[in-house]
Amino acid sequence: MSVYASIEHATHVPAVVQASLLAAGLLVVAGLVLRRQIAAAGGGVVPDEGVTLRNVVEVLVDSIASLARDIMGEEWRRYFPLVGTIFVFILVSNLMGMVPGLGGATSDVNTTTAWAILSFAAYNYVGIRKHGFWYINQFLGPVLFDVTLFGRKIHVRPLLFFGFPILELFLHLARILTLSVRLLANMFADHTVVAVWITLVPIAIPAVFMGLGMLVAVLQAFVFSLLTMIYIGLAMEEPH
Amino acid sequence: MRRVLGIVLWSLAFVAAPSLAMAAEPGADSFLGIGAGLAIGAGLAVGLAGLGCGIGQGLTAGNTTAGIARNPGAAGSMFTNFILAMVLIESIAIYGLVIALLLYGSLPAPPA
Repeated sequence: MSVYASIEHATHVPAVVQASLLAAGLLVVAGLVLRRQIAAAGGGVVPDEGVTLRNVVEVLVDSIASLARDIMGEEWRRYFPLVGTIFVFILVSNLMGMVPGLGGATSDVNTTTAWAILSFAAYNYVGIRKHGFWYINQFLGPVLFDVTLFGRKIHVRPLLFFGFPILELFLHLARILTLSVRLLANMFADHTVVAVWITLVPIAIPAVFMGLGMLVAVLQAFVFSLLTMIYIGLAMEEPH
Repeated sequence: MRRVLGIVLWSLAFVAAPSLAMAAEPGADSFLGIGAGLAIGAGLAVGLAGLGCGIGQGLTAGNTTAGIARNPGAAGSMFTNFILAMVLIESIAIYGLVIALLLYGSLPAPPA
């Protein structure tokens, strides 16, 4: 029924891996085409006329870049490729999943959990890179007052003894879970709803839900990348 | 009126209590068997999650509309925030759906 079934039968490569390889291949091809278009337009200062790939991508990149500058501060260019890749890959995978015969990689729990773990590792890396060992301050609770003992100023964090680190740890681990489950369940729920409607009224109504699915696909990709940006921004800020 | 309501509710509780006590061991002839519990739980999960999500999204939509009516010039950025808030609240309802699907998947097989 799906495009990947015959290839899977021949080479034993799972359908998820085929779908993500296809999405990655599409992105690489799009990147090369864009590079040639920008080189042909002489540096890319003057926009093309009409709707070309370059114009669409410029609008997209501009909007995400302004958002990234607001959220991540001055160092946004360093982490922008990761966020942009997350957005574009998940967008392409979601849209591929909307096509009836072609499956998307994000309908499978493995892909979404992999991206969620990557996002978690990214923002922790950013925090440790910026603060060093004192990244641990974020888990130790807010400072109530300062005390000067033996000539050194010591922050007093009373919530440290009330289980605050355990709560923060659980919150950070829950971020992996919510990121992956949000993306997976949104894609999976739309497929389930369309399947149920096809068994009930096969004529016109599943198309409405497929349209809703397209909207959800774009929005979920945007939300995943936005949340990654927010987590990176939160990891970079000075711990209070 | 309140006194009558109290009497009615307490009598119902006394009637229902023995059956609740005996349902501590689920069996084929007991009302609260494991399959019934899972099925009721699955339905309640989606229902309550949808209730909370509906209230949240309704409040968001109302406040966004009021904001746009008050200041139509800022409608663009308000619309962006509106879509973002809707998607994040929707994800809470989706978590309920995931729990319901998990419960539904682990229902015991119906008797032949």
